[in-house]
Amino acid sequence: MTTTEIRQTSIVIMPDDDHDPIRYIERTRNYYLAIGFDRPYQWAHYDDVPFTPLKKPLADSRIGIVTTAAPFQPDLPDQGPGAAYNAAAKFHSVYSETTGAQPDLRISHIGYDRIHTTAEDMRTWFPLEKLQEAEASGRIGSIAQRFAGAPTTRSQRHTTEIDAPEILELFKQDDVDAALLVPN
Amino acid sequence: MCHQTVSLVARHLEANGIPTVVAGCARDIVEHCGVPRFLFSDFPLGNSCGKPSDDESQRETVERALRVLESAVDGRTTVQSPLRWSDDPSWKRDFSRFDNLTPEELERRRTSFNDQKSVAKARAAEC
Repeated sequence: MTTTEIRQTSIVIMPDDDHDPIRYIERTRNYYLAIGFDRPYQWAHYDDVPFTPLKKPLADSRIGIVTTAAPFQPDLPDQGPGAAYNAAAKFHSVYSETTGAQPDLRISHIGYDRIHTTAEDMRTWFPLEKLQEAEASGRIGSIAQRFAGAPTTRSQRHTTEIDAPEILELFKQDDVDAALLVPN
Repeated sequence: MCHQTVSLVARHLEANGIPTVVAGCARDIVEHCGVPRFLFSDFPLGNSCGKPSDDESQRETVERALRVLESAVDGRTTVQSPLRWSDDPSWKRDFSRFDNLTPEELERRRTSFNDQKSVAKARAAEC
């Protein structure tokens, strides 16, 4: 079978059921085949999953936050609501900022749904305010003093060998008991 | 990539003694990777913590994530939020749609993708 035939075969699309979740892996693969990239990305897959039970009740636990959103960079082009995909706004190393103030985080460097959402309300991708409410009500013990920003990369090795260990180290320094991770 | 990235980070934290929950909108990517705990909201990407300007939806989403964190008994626990983005599910048809694009538009997107990759590479080299 030639490459062309493979491509034609691969982009036959079965209609989705609107009540099922979007199949992003399949959609993305088909999209890139359609625009001419015929080497599908191999998404991370593991058979085994680690599991660590909570060591104490949430009301006594310190919660860490991991986000893939990026701090606003005033020297770069548009990162505001509805901005087109902006690769220049990507970050490439783990960063941390205080949770003592509301940060200004943007998602213009991310392939979020730009048709049906406009990225106007940071609280839809960064849960600090609602965790603060949970802390105030005693639902959780506290919020870690710093949150972590995880750079998105196609390199799974970079994430697992460099970025994830850095976030672990940060959370150990801040005595994090459990973590809430929010992708975009 | 976002969902894969945090899934990999969650696995690493968990393997090193920190319990985690991922709150996200791309169910297949997270479950394909395999994470300990996952709250899935069937919303457009970019809204993992609830709907825009909807305080109650955001509060409920974070509270549900906390409940998954404290109640899961084993890895690969997925809980799907009962919240709906809209009564009209047609928003799901638009993501990465290409069947309505002309050959010229497909070529433009290919060029644009390559350009963005170059920009990201150049920025990575600067950092």
